Amino acid sequence: MKKITIYILIIGLLSIFIGYTMYHKPHINVAEKPVDIAITANILFADFSSDETKANTKYLNKIIAVKGKVANVEFNGEKAAISLQTEDDFGSVVCYLVQDEFKKSAEIKEGQEVILKGICTGFLMDVILVKCVVMNSK
Amino acid sequence: MKIVSTFFMCLFLVSFTNGQERFLTKKGMISFFSETPIENIEAQNNQVLSVVDATSGKMAIAILMKSFMFKKALMQEHFNENYVESDKYPKATFKGDIIDFETITTSERSIAIKGNLTIHGKTKEITIKALTKKTDAVLEMTGDFFINLTDFDVKIPSIVKNNISEKIKVSFRLYHKPYNK
Repeated sequence: MKKITIYILIIGLLSIFIGYTMYHKPHINVAEKPVDIAITANILFADFSSDETKANTKYLNKIIAVKGKVANVEFNGEKAAISLQTEDDFGSVVCYLVQDEFKKSAEIKEGQEVILKGICTGFLMDVILVKCVVMNSK
Repeated sequence: MKIVSTFFMCLFLVSFTNGQERFLTKKGMISFFSETPIENIEAQNNQVLSVVDATSGKMAIAILMKSFMFKKALMQEHFNENYVESDKYPKATFKGDIIDFETITTSERSIAIKGNLTIHGKTKEITIKALTKKTDAVLEMTGDFFINLTDFDVKIPSIVKNNISEKIKVSFRLYHKPYNK
């Protein structure tokens, strides 16, 4: 009888623990995740502007490393948004950086070539990547 | 010679008025808030695209559902996968008319915007009130309104029914800049 109570108690505690950790599951840490797709800003934008539905199935929620020339860097508090040039006059690839990258993003200059890694959330006028980190810049 | 200069004058005027015609932001903010006694759920989207045509008073907003950031990763996952099905319906849009657009001045006042809101593939006509002011450099619009989940066919499983409010408060802050491209 005593044994059963102990078993039930253990199972109960275990399920509470599992439930708790699932509820507090951390956000994806982009820096630690492997890259799903490595691509240039130009091709990424062209894919979205030619066939958005197809591009959505290919790129949405994927960890993307995008390479391109910096068109401009904008700051909103400590969060930077870096636009990468494309051959299109109107559109670009806009990468919203995580706050931890503030120092690195402050050093990035217009015209510089960079590789940024982030999660693709879709296409409005620009292709949008969120939670970006700087992979390399020279 | 006169014709040529008139032509250039016209061209100049056209490009000038074109520059004044549209206001745009790509970095607008929209957030939503669900309040229940059990828990509050909040998410923010800072990549809102909004365009206002100053001549017609028309307004168009587009947002990506996946750009909503939650405090808890699990909530974000449920929101995208189960509730708004963002793989199927990646965007929410609003298209509407700003009523009495020409009355907007540099001092802040409340105006109404009437239009169609599309979320989760379902469209509903709504009228939103917004505090608005306009200068040469910026067209500001801020406000909030409520939406019903049932209007947009968003189904909440009965197990979490008490955690998610039926009425969701949506807040927006859009600072449009003149668009010249």
